[in-house]
Amino acid sequence: MKTESEIRQTLREWIVRTSGKIRAEELDDDTPIIERRIISSLQLTDLILMLERLSDSPIDIEMLKPGVFRDINTIYRNFFEPARA
Amino acid sequence: MNTFEASVEKLCSASIKDYINPYSYLEWPEKIDTEQWSTTPELISLYGTPFYDGLSTAEQQRLSFYEAINFFSLNIHGEKSLIEGLAQRLYRKGNDLVSPYIHHFLDEENKHMIYFGGFCVRYAGKVYPDRKMVFTREYEPGEDDFMFFGKVLIFEEIVDVYNKRMAKDERLAPIVRQINFLHHRDESRHLAFGRLLVKNMYERYSDVWSMDTRERISEYLKNYLQATWKEYYNPAAYKDAGLKDAFDVQEQALQMQATRKHRAEVSAGCIRFLTENGILLEQPQL
Repeated sequence: MKTESEIRQTLREWIVRTSGKIRAEELDDDTPIIERRIISSLQLTDLILMLERLSDSPIDIEMLKPGVFRDINTIYRNFFEPARA
Repeated sequence: MNTFEASVEKLCSASIKDYINPYSYLEWPEKIDTEQWSTTPELISLYGTPFYDGLSTAEQQRLSFYEAINFFSLNIHGEKSLIEGLAQRLYRKGNDLVSPYIHHFLDEENKHMIYFGGFCVRYAGKVYPDRKMVFTREYEPGEDDFMFFGKVLIFEEIVDVYNKRMAKDERLAPIVRQINFLHHRDESRHLAFGRLLVKNMYERYSDVWSMDTRERISEYLKNYLQATWKEYYNPAAYKDAGLKDAFDVQEQALQMQATRKHRAEVSAGCIRFLTENGILLEQPQL
C-alpha cells in the first residue's frame, strides 16, 4: 500500500483532474469537496472505485456513515487509517 | 380522453394481460456451467479490445458469466431506486393519470428483481454492490420528478438493447435468455411509458424553467449517461473472471475505440430521443 502522503497526493490530483472546478493550489486536505460541490454525486462513483483501488478492498456503500467523503482528511481517516491500525 | 390518458390506459391493459407469477414461471437449473455463454459475446464490455482477444474461449465464457452477474446486479440496483422513486410518486398530487400504471410498474420491477437476484445469488452467491449515491439539493418546480424519470429512461433504454439481443441469442444458457426475454417484455411497456411521460413533463415545465435550469438538467443527464456506462466496466467482475490488473483493464478499456463505438451504438436511440425533444442540449462524449 502507498504511504499516507502518497495517498493524500493521489486524492488531491484525482479531485482536481475530475472536478475541473478547483485548482490544485486552492485544494487543502480540509476543503469540503461535497458541500462545495467540487465533486458531484455522479463523480462519487468514480471516487469509490479509486478508493477501492488504492485501499485494495471493496467498499460497501450501504455501510458508510454520512459525511465520510467530506474532505481528504475524512476520506483518509475512514478508508485508510483502519487498515494501518 | 386525451392521447396521454389513452396511452396510459392501454399500457395498464397490456400489463394485466401479461401478468405472471414470478415464482412458478421460470425453471431454474441447479447450476450454471461457467464455460458456456451467459452474455452475448459482442455485448461483453471488453469485446473488441486486446484484453478480450487475448483470452481463450473458456476464459471469455467465464468472463461472460461474471458480466451477466454484473448486468443483473446493475439492474437490481437500478430497479431498487426506481421502486423507491415510483412509490414516492404514487398518488402524489398531479399524478392522478399515471398512478394506475405506477402500480403495474412497481409490480413488474419487483418481479424483475426476483429474476435478477435469483440468478446472482443462486449461481454466483452474490450481487455486486452498488456504487451510486445521490445528494439532495434544491430543485425548481417539476425538476426533481423530471430528473427521476429522465434517469429511468436512460437506464432502461440501455438495458433494453441488451435484453432484446440476449433474449434471441441461442448461444446463451436458456435461463439467461428467459430472464432477458421476460425483462424485455415488460420493459417495452415501461419504455413507452417513460418516453411519453418524459416528453409530456418537459413540454409542461420547460417554459417555466430558466435557461440555467435547462442547461443544468442537460448536463446532469449527460453525466448520468456516462456514469451509467462506466458501471458496465466493473473491475470486480474482471477480477472474478481471473483477469489481472482489473482496475487498469477497466480504465484502459473505457478509452478504447471499440468500446466507445459500442456505447455510442447502444445509446443512439436514447440520445436521439433526448436530443430531438430538446432535453439534451449537446451530444454526450461516450
